[in-house]
Amino acid sequence: MAETPSPDALAVEFDCLMARAGVSVPPQRRAAALVAYADLRGQIALLHGRYGPEAEPSNVFRPGDK
Amino acid sequence: MDTQDLCIAEMGRLLRSGVVSAETLARDALARVAARDGGLHAFVLVTEDRALQDARRADDELKAGRDRGPFHGIPYALKDIYDTAGIRTTCHSKLRLNVVPKQDSVAAARLREAGGVLLGKLATHEFAIGGPSFDLPFPPARNPWNPEHITGGSSSGSGTAIAARMVRMAMGSDTGGSIRGPAAWCGTVGIKATYGLVSRRGVFPLSWTLDHIGPLTRSVEDAAITLQVLAGYDPQDPASADVPVPNYRADLEKGVARLRIGIPRAFFANASATTPEVVAGLERTAARLRAAGAVVEDIELPDYALFSAVGRVIMMAEAFAIHETDVQTRLLDYGEITAGRFILGAAITAADFIHALRARRELTDAVNAALSRYDALLTLSALNTAPRFDQPTDALSSASPIQTIPFNVTGHPAMSVPTGLGASGLPIGVQIVGRVFDEPMVFRIGRAVEKLSGWEAVKLPAG
Repeated sequence: MAETPSPDALAVEFDCLMARAGVSVPPQRRAAALVAYADLRGQIALLHGRYGPEAEPSNVFRPGDK
Repeated sequence: MDTQDLCIAEMGRLLRSGVVSAETLARDALARVAARDGGLHAFVLVTEDRALQDARRADDELKAGRDRGPFHGIPYALKDIYDTAGIRTTCHSKLRLNVVPKQDSVAAARLREAGGVLLGKLATHEFAIGGPSFDLPFPPARNPWNPEHITGGSSSGSGTAIAARMVRMAMGSDTGGSIRGPAAWCGTVGIKATYGLVSRRGVFPLSWTLDHIGPLTRSVEDAAITLQVLAGYDPQDPASADVPVPNYRADLEKGVARLRIGIPRAFFANASATTPEVVAGLERTAARLRAAGAVVEDIELPDYALFSAVGRVIMMAEAFAIHETDVQTRLLDYGEITAGRFILGAAITAADFIHALRARRELTDAVNAALSRYDALLTLSALNTAPRFDQPTDALSSASPIQTIPFNVTGHPAMSVPTGLGASGLPIGVQIVGRVFDEPMVFRIGRAVEKLSGWEAVKLPAG
């Protein structure tokens, strides 16, 4: 996640993720979806490599909480 | 008398003194909707029979000595993601055109129990995320200040209905700013209370851990009256908080002397979409608050980009989980914008999502730390005034002009208050953010901003 992939690599990655999720993106919408995915991926990159193992997520639960 | 310009409290006084009836208020509002909505499209359904039924009940009860409180006899409308028993609830989507819930959402039930008069269901971006769109079963709501401009979303019809003086209160929902964005761009007040204060049960979810519901109104006092009806513990909403509900109007006129207010200036100072006139509006607001005795100073928070990334990842992932089957099997039944947003959720990995939740803890701690030194935060609701329909912006991208998602991520109460008009005649607003469950302080500062800005004297679009 550290490197920004090339447009071709980004497209391959996107297609793999869509296939894994069982989503068929219509061909006429693929270009717009890739633009949006590139923007989202840039945001996701901000989240990786930021924390050590001690940093727990916000939704760690407490047994007994309502 | 033009009853559409009466605040909720004044409507109540006139109802109780017998000067007007609830039926008159309802008929005036219905006439206003009939006159204005053909070109604005705030409503997807007008429930005239239900409105008159509610109004007559309110009148009969007042005559019989039963007073349900400040919302008794007050006309209102609901974003069309709120379940309403026996009344179609479409989410503005082809996928739910024939859905008629058997039960009211908790909010709808509370408003009914408080004596409110339901005028109908309001336009929304599809499933509170996809719009403004022209490929949905209903047209997009238009901005009453200039119908060539968008309202913001997703509570688009709610913003339109308030700014066009159709109702004084319209319910919206806010997952990344869907109350505060339309409020800013339509010149209304809009508040999302602390996460957990208002039950979400019966409102179609977009993202469980970011969703808030709340009102858009003409004034801060109207918003406080409405929140008084809505707030309260619901044991059947897993996020509901069992906390005391204070009197939200008690501190409205206390002013801001000696309050400490922080401006997270870096949120907007370096953003590419920031326009000078909205920053000038914030500076005027800060100067007025200082003149009224508040200490207003710049503060630092983590980068806005981090808040935005966390909010978007959580929203997209949770939304995809909700819509997964339909996205897999009938994607083309969604509007194009909606579909384009939902499929992004399929591209988020488990690690992406968990890192977003780790960052959420960091960001919430940072805002809590800032609010341990300040009574509230003051920032922009949006970086610009409402764009034209033919110059769309992606409200969910990293370049979104709406600056509201940080407080969906952290859960703090946040309210947009109009402060004036920009050069184009479109409204601008500021956002006030309070400590967790300190809505009284948000209303107190919001009321001061409203008074000091002179917004109450601004004439709404006549139409």
